[in-house]
Amino acid sequence: MRIEELNSELIFTGLEAENSDAVMEWMGREFVRQGYTKDSYVAALLAREKEYPTGLDLGQGNICAAIPHTDAEHVIKPGTGIGILKHPVSFHVMGGDEEELVQVSVVFMLAIKDPGKQLDRLQNIIGIIQDQKLLRELSKASSKEEVLKCLHQL
Amino acid sequence: MRKRIIVCCGGAIATSTIASNKIMELCRRNGISVDLVQCRISEISSQLPADLILPTAKVGRDFGVPMVTAMPFISGVGIEKAEQEILRILKGE
Repeated sequence: MRIEELNSELIFTGLEAENSDAVMEWMGREFVRQGYTKDSYVAALLAREKEYPTGLDLGQGNICAAIPHTDAEHVIKPGTGIGILKHPVSFHVMGGDEEELVQVSVVFMLAIKDPGKQLDRLQNIIGIIQDQKLLRELSKASSKEEVLKCLHQL
Repeated sequence: MRKRIIVCCGGAIATSTIASNKIMELCRRNGISVDLVQCRISEISSQLPADLILPTAKVGRDFGVPMVTAMPFISGVGIEKAEQEILRILKGE
């Protein structure tokens, strides 16, 4: 992945959270604080996740990820956040039944302004998600530098 | 005849963008001409008629149109099976 596509100020490691809402709130507030999104972003993110969950079941025994995001009207400038969780938290499964949960270790939070222009970035994220070896390595990263090192192999 | 495909997700912004791109590639590789529309799940009925609906989220309604989940294009799990199913429907086999 090209270095300019990563927002290193939106990379967080060692996150400890009780549940998915807490992770999304914490990361979402960082997007707001750093000027990527409007104040309305966090509430919109949580509401969207409730209606259309983004946990991805990547197979039993595999590291799983989630890609919370919401509408462009809450976004000021595009950004991709990466959150590495100390302990996995449950997310509801995208496209799954209501009671279907997945234990997520890595959160890719997206602030999307214009999907057409951000297709490369979106595909990069999907590339990581579909690369279990890389995702596992990423889930073990304990610093921003380690995350960047993992991703620059792409 | 051109086929009309609806690719949809919650906000028509992230996952349907990725899935649309993959599905266009799939159709191109197989010489199938398609008109692809991308929309929110809540907008499906306004985009009908169509030959195929490909959602990346749960759709709790039957629109009388074949529907195949586009989730494999996001998770990478079960891509081949989804591609075969999509091609089967589009080719009318």
